[in-house]
Amino acid sequence: MPLERPQTVINSGKPAGKISIRNLGKSFSLGETKVTALTNVNLEVDAGEFICIVGPSGCGKTTLLRILAELEAPTQGEVLISRDNPAVPLSSMIFQESSIFPWMTIRNNVAYGLKLRNVPQTEIDRTVDHFMKLAGLDGFADAYPHQLSGGMKQRASVARAFSNDPEILLMDEPFAALDEQNKALLQEELLRIWSETQKTVVFITHSIDEALVLSDRVLVMSGRPGTLKAEFKVDFPRPRRVYDLKADPTFGKLGRDIWMLLREEVTGQ
Amino acid sequence: MIVSSNDMVRITADQDKTASPLSRLLRSDAFASIASPIVILLLWEALVRGHLLDARFFPAPSSVIVELITLIHSGQIFIDIAWTVSRVLIGTLLGAIPGLIFGVLLGLSPVIRMFVQPAISALYPIPKIALFPLVMMIFGIGDTSKWVIVGIAVFFQVFFSTLAGVVNIDKIYLDVASNFKASRWQTYRTIAIPGALPFIFTGLQLGLGMALIVVVIAENFGTQVGVGYMIWQSWQVFEVRDMYVGLIVVAFLGYCFQLLLLRLQRAVIPWKKAGGT
Repeated sequence: MPLERPQTVINSGKPAGKISIRNLGKSFSLGETKVTALTNVNLEVDAGEFICIVGPSGCGKTTLLRILAELEAPTQGEVLISRDNPAVPLSSMIFQESSIFPWMTIRNNVAYGLKLRNVPQTEIDRTVDHFMKLAGLDGFADAYPHQLSGGMKQRASVARAFSNDPEILLMDEPFAALDEQNKALLQEELLRIWSETQKTVVFITHSIDEALVLSDRVLVMSGRPGTLKAEFKVDFPRPRRVYDLKADPTFGKLGRDIWMLLREEVTGQ
Repeated sequence: MIVSSNDMVRITADQDKTASPLSRLLRSDAFASIASPIVILLLWEALVRGHLLDARFFPAPSSVIVELITLIHSGQIFIDIAWTVSRVLIGTLLGAIPGLIFGVLLGLSPVIRMFVQPAISALYPIPKIALFPLVMMIFGIGDTSKWVIVGIAVFFQVFFSTLAGVVNIDKIYLDVASNFKASRWQTYRTIAIPGALPFIFTGLQLGLGMALIVVVIAENFGTQVGVGYMIWQSWQVFEVRDMYVGLIVVAFLGYCFQLLLLRLQRAVIPWKKAGGT
């Protein structure tokens, strides 16, 4: 388990938007064979934008996100991320599985980023209280994760990332394991928190509905080797409510258009 | 209660069965765990009294208890216990702390692991007590050599358990730490050590067991006190009852150590209460 972080991603050259991905590629060797996970990915993300990336499983979505999170280095191309406030962390990632530390109370989990940065305790308390409340975790401060349901753990995971106050949030199918009701609730809560904080969000999902509900723009990825294939503007008015949106005929039509594209990738035709 | 007939099954709430206190006692776990040793001891006593068992090797439990009470009255037994316990505890600290440090270091760094682990693994199969003569040559025959040999025994148990614990930490937690820009030291403190704690406790448990074995043997040399010394001494003067008292005391000490460790574990690992991860 390497602690060494790949030193790649951030470049001081000013990108056009918040994130600028240029000709990005990633390959790795699996035994004898060389696997290309990503190839020729180009993407501009504006500050404060909420984008969703959908793609068939195994297309390298997560790899792309891990590169943005500085957890992995690309083997080709570059990513430029502009830094607006050197005092706050650049990005925080919300992982697919439950990544909440089982050995910390919910409060300490949510406070994790702030504690690492030695933020004064009063400020930690204020921020943590605020985001625990927004994420619907009131009253669970001193509980341990094993006492909570999967949905609550994922709320804590969201609260942990938001209270770290990063410029960019990277979300890797954070709600994939949740049941429908919890998913809809958390999506709405995420949108509410996001509208309050105006962070840039890169959200990965395999659910077209989820992408349409949340984002300003949906990017469709091809199957392996993954590359961005198409982009759809999603301009439903905000604030959005999940089931109001799903009742909108344009929602269904847009969803079908994306599915037609994805279908080719999933079936390989 | 389930009543089943040809055309229906009726499931109703159980009646509150009020069992008699005696039958409840007979069914309790505590009773079962005490009953079987008592039966064995009674049988033993009977066999010795009936001259079916050689009292020179297997003295009657009653005579051992009398001897135990004598030693308690004279206070000698407490002096022996105090010395043995202090040797075990000092040696355990001496071994557990470096075991923990090395385990965490190697667990998180594949490079260090590659260089150091082969050496440690090569030493591991040596029966620890076989090193005792060497340890006595280096540290003398006094208490220091006993602390050191106990320390060596404990070190390996704690080291390997900690290493396994750290290596087994779900990689996602390290990714989170890395994503949150935790420093190396912060990663040790917030991820590696708490994540490995359940394993570390297993190591301590095994280590304390080893410590007791080693200390009892080591107390044969260069000392006039300790439970181990008492056992060896009673062998030399053929005072078998004292030997049995020693064995009882050692067993009791082992039991107490495990009990203390369990208490400590519950206090230190509150997230393990429900048996989840």
